[in-house]
Amino acid sequence: MEILDKLINVALIAATLRTTAPILLVALGGSFTTKAGIFNIGLEGQMLAGAFFAVIGSIWTGSAFVGVACGVAAALAFALAFAVLVVTFRANEVVVGLALNILAGGMTISLMKAILGTRGSIVGHGIVGLPKVQIPGAQALLGSWAPLISGFTPIVYVAFIAVPLLVLFYNRTRLGLYIRVVGEKPEAAEALGISITRVRYIASLLCGLLAGLAGAHLSLGYITMFTENMSSGRGFMAVAILIFSNGDPLKVLAGCLLFGFADAFSLRLQTFGFPSYLVLTVPYVVALTALFALSYRARPRIIKETLASMQKLLSVDRNSAPVDKNPQ
Amino acid sequence: MSDRLRAFSGQIIAVGVALLLGAIIILLVGESPVHVLMTLLHGAFGDQEKIAGTLLQTTPILICGVAACIGLRGGMFNVGIEGQLFLGGFAAAWVGFSFSLPAGIHTLAALALAVVAGAAWVAIPAYFRARYNTNEVVSTILSNYIAVLLTSYFTIFLFKRPGGWSETPPILATAYLPEIFSFSRLNWGLVIGLLLAVGVALVFRYTSWGYDVTMVGSAPKFAEYGGVNVKRQGFVVLLLSGAVGGLAGGVETLGVHHRFMEGFAPGFGFDGLIAALLANGSPVATILTALFFGALRSGSLLLEVDTSASREIITVIQALIILSVSAQVLIKRRGDSQAGERRWKF
Repeated sequence: MEILDKLINVALIAATLRTTAPILLVALGGSFTTKAGIFNIGLEGQMLAGAFFAVIGSIWTGSAFVGVACGVAAALAFALAFAVLVVTFRANEVVVGLALNILAGGMTISLMKAILGTRGSIVGHGIVGLPKVQIPGAQALLGSWAPLISGFTPIVYVAFIAVPLLVLFYNRTRLGLYIRVVGEKPEAAEALGISITRVRYIASLLCGLLAGLAGAHLSLGYITMFTENMSSGRGFMAVAILIFSNGDPLKVLAGCLLFGFADAFSLRLQTFGFPSYLVLTVPYVVALTALFALSYRARPRIIKETLASMQKLLSVDRNSAPVDKNPQ
Repeated sequence: MSDRLRAFSGQIIAVGVALLLGAIIILLVGESPVHVLMTLLHGAFGDQEKIAGTLLQTTPILICGVAACIGLRGGMFNVGIEGQLFLGGFAAAWVGFSFSLPAGIHTLAALALAVVAGAAWVAIPAYFRARYNTNEVVSTILSNYIAVLLTSYFTIFLFKRPGGWSETPPILATAYLPEIFSFSRLNWGLVIGLLLAVGVALVFRYTSWGYDVTMVGSAPKFAEYGGVNVKRQGFVVLLLSGAVGGLAGGVETLGVHHRFMEGFAPGFGFDGLIAALLANGSPVATILTALFFGALRSGSLLLEVDTSASREIITVIQALIILSVSAQVLIKRRGDSQAGERRWKF
């Protein structure tokens, strides 16, 4: 029991929330593209570019928030390139996504050497990390449980607040509805006069925005440094989550908490003397297992359910909507 | 033929555009593109040793490229070649240092286990892809990370040479892939790669199995109506692709390093996939694209010494090439419905 107490405690849960935040943000970003019917394997690269340019921006301006803005801008540039190639030029999503990931990996290392003359990692150099937000009254309210809601960087709060916002976005806004229609019934969207191209561009850019924040959190919030390929597969784990959650924000949250926990737990195990190499595989093994276990079962049912609910929404939204002309 | 010629010239234009973009990036990094290009060329083809070095780099890229081609033909993205390469490399090394067998047989046994290891590593993603349509791109990418960590664990915690680096004991000389020339580590792996590329091309061209697989890859519905067991072919294709990926690792271990070490062949799996994509899934064309990437890699070694640019600039160039190729291939198919299916054709 004592070992269990040492392993699982408030600090571990707080660490879980911290490790969940970046993968949650990037997965929520990917939910836009998933819902819009794009398979976005390029999340990893967008995140990595975000992490790198956040650090560079932070060094150049001495402000963490300008750094975050730089990171987001870089991720947006990658997202735009993805959209131009995939949406406008109809290039294969997998090929473009993989190439952009490789581009991000090579570019960050090359620029690191060109700008700072170092290889491997950027530490120091005047990187300003994100401040931690202390929620007033948290200590009085929760006592020793206060670290669960207080003391995180702003991006962590953004990540968790984004979940309910996205639920509302998909269910209550016109753009959210359009994104879903474009993803699941492009023919219907076309018939309704929705520009598939425009919606997919918007979805890709929204995705870049969140992926950039996720990257910035990795390099300025989680720790204050940048290392080669520091996104280390989180973008791909996010894609795995997106596949079996179908981009639904609540399911995304559940999946991300699982991986965040696996991540935090494996770091904890390492301090107990388990071989680090095996421990580090834990998050990937969890992601793979979840992918295998969940992807085959739920897929057709989810599509059917969303189609049904969408039909309802469409008929409320536009009374003359020619949904019946496009029977499934 | 004119169609093929047009496609080929399209690829060349795309590579040109990518090189132009690469030149801009090199300028941004603060180097002269001409100087970088000359350094690359000199590093890749400067003298006979450098040419051999280029071919040495080409070998694993070629074999990994053939592995990717097999998958792509059957409509499967095996992005896990990197992981299969690591496991194959470790398996070959393990046979190499823990058994003593007659020369030649030892090499073959090590290569055989490398092949088995590569196939075994892809077996679970392949099974779930075939049976439940689980996305093979994501599952094989994730398994790469596990493969790299797992082989590191084997190496450092189970087989580490006392007092040595993070590497296994050296393999016995009986298991070496012999070198072709005395002045270079270039070995018979290159010949294996060339034979494999031609052999796989012939299989796809002249056997009914190859025809079935190509059909599964390009028109799965049609294949299914034609009586092809699409699921089984998908499984077999991924398994074969993984087997060749494992072979690439075995060749690298037995021919070049003569031991397995942590991070022994970074990026060859991805380079192979990119080479195969650039060759549009043709194993024979992959010989050329692999040579191109091998030259880039080998030239980049000198780049690091002679210029202030980092050698990763070549991965940027590779990525740009693929991006511009992927865009131009599909430009001519514009005009169909926006909702239409977007597929990479082979």
